[in-house]
Amino acid sequence: MSDTKVIDACNTFCPGPLMELITYMKQAEVGDTLELLSTDQGSASDVPEWVEKVGHEMIGSEKVGEVWHIKVRKAK
Amino acid sequence: MRILVVGGGTGGTIVANNLARRLSAELRAGKVTLTMLSASDRHMYQPGLLYVAFGQMMPDALYRDQASLLEPSIEFHVDPVKHFMLDEQKVRTGSDRVFGYDVLVIATGSRMVPEEIPGLVEGSETFYSEAGAIKMYKALRNFQGGRIALVVGVPHKCPIAPVEATFSLHDFFKARGIRDQVEIKYHYPINRIHSIENVAKWAKPEFDRMEVAYETLFNLKEVDVANRIIRSEEDTEYAYDLLISIPAHRGMAVIEENQLGQAGWIPTDRHQLTMAGYDNVYVLGDTTNLPVSKTGSAAHFEAEVVAENIASIVKIGEPVREYDGKVYCFIEAGHDQATYAMFNYQNPPDLKPANKSMHWFKMSYNQLYWSSVRGLL
Amino acid sequence: MSSQTNLSDGPAGRIEENVGAADLRHLLELATLVTAARDAMSDDIVTRMSSAVNEGLILLDRVTRNPGLMRLLQALERSECQSLLEALADALTATSRELVSDPTGSGAGGGLLRLLRDPGTRDTLRLVCVLGGHLSRNLEAATKVSVSPGGSGAPL
Repeated sequence: MSDTKVIDACNTFCPGPLMELITYMKQAEVGDTLELLSTDQGSASDVPEWVEKVGHEMIGSEKVGEVWHIKVRKAK
Repeated sequence: MRILVVGGGTGGTIVANNLARRLSAELRAGKVTLTMLSASDRHMYQPGLLYVAFGQMMPDALYRDQASLLEPSIEFHVDPVKHFMLDEQKVRTGSDRVFGYDVLVIATGSRMVPEEIPGLVEGSETFYSEAGAIKMYKALRNFQGGRIALVVGVPHKCPIAPVEATFSLHDFFKARGIRDQVEIKYHYPINRIHSIENVAKWAKPEFDRMEVAYETLFNLKEVDVANRIIRSEEDTEYAYDLLISIPAHRGMAVIEENQLGQAGWIPTDRHQLTMAGYDNVYVLGDTTNLPVSKTGSAAHFEAEVVAENIASIVKIGEPVREYDGKVYCFIEAGHDQATYAMFNYQNPPDLKPANKSMHWFKMSYNQLYWSSVRGLL
Repeated sequence: MSSQTNLSDGPAGRIEENVGAADLRHLLELATLVTAARDAMSDDIVTRMSSAVNEGLILLDRVTRNPGLMRLLQALERSECQSLLEALADALTATSRELVSDPTGSGAGGGLLRLLRDPGTRDTLRLVCVLGGHLSRNLEAATKVSVSPGGSGAPL
């Protein structure tokens, strides 16, 4: 099993969850999975939009309590 | 107790001065020693670089001698750390001296890394260094019209800088009387024009009013310097005549070389500001991996918490405060007007309308910063 | 209830009762003054004023936390010091002028002898000797205090 890097971006407003994901995506290797934790409602739509546009792979997105867990695999 | 502060920027200087004030009796009695190691004998007011790039401040106004900013009870050495030996509670410096500590504060800051994007170093102007800001001013001064592109890397120091630089560009060319011959296009990595939602909502109509074009979801992949074209990871491109970049940043190389944190950002507890796995190592300012803005303001508020906690550990053996994520950012809005954004882990920023008084408050702060780093304000 | 009616009408009524025409005129004047001051300000003025405030704050902080300087200020405030301070200030001005008008000095040994024959020079030498004596005695006393029995500090 490959490790999933968890990025805790809960309760942050600047630079915000998507910026955090982009930061860690740059540091990751192709094939790595990142799990973004976010309390920002916008993340549920913002993150998939970016992932699709840039060409990475959405693995899943679910809300547990108040926290969105969004999993993305680096594809390029 | 031996307290060692590594880094003489905003965070390191405030934490050292604050500690010197809180522990003055202990320092006089020799029960505590306070040492700072820094890479430079000068201290730069980094927010001033944007003013230098637009000819509103001269570079010499950005600096003070670091020693002149420190309390006399602080032992100060210009001798950057090369090796962190955290398990032995020691560091080794560039001059091969070894300093032991009981409490360590790491505040080494961050650096821009334009070299990570092909063509960005030779193809763009940037105001994130003194030389860069002067060069950018000359380029702007000589620009007679055409297409200006502004690009933003992730993560970057001072998240409000892209918006402020755009307002400044508009004002600069308007004052020169050639705004109608200059096309300004702003490119931003996420799907709105600023990471703070309220700033994005406020800035969008302002950009429309100033006729500034913008493209969101634009993460710079490369600069084709010969043909003056920028290309994004999202497969879009734009032809420019003058490129202004806010490059991506990393933590300092020494942090990476010592394997203290990926990309130079040290894993840090978001409330205690201690390094993961080391209760006697505090991290603050840009050096942390916290999801808060990389700005002097965050470093300032973090430094107050760290200093209060170290002082209370000396006095009663326990820390007494937690960092609440507080950040306060001035936002220069052009037209000699400004506003501000304040937020913490719990409360999002609530933006007030820009006005002239806030602009003067920022102008005043540019001077009062020197009182602030001395631990007075 | 009448008290509720009074509460809802009250504030406006109280303002009208308490603020007379003259008060409003004064407020208007003040508002005009604020606007005039605001219009007269520039970035440069704000920067210079803030710089002065900044330096003043730093100076105040340094002086007030420095026991030696505070003591010196207290001593210099005494009326018997005033004539000495004024004489010192005048002497500094005169010395600066003299040095500018005669930068090389008039002769070596002979010039020095002439200076020593001047009664003013002799008075000043006496003043320096008296000051030196007091300073020496005070330093000796301070050293004794710091190594007095029971004190844990090391001798200076």
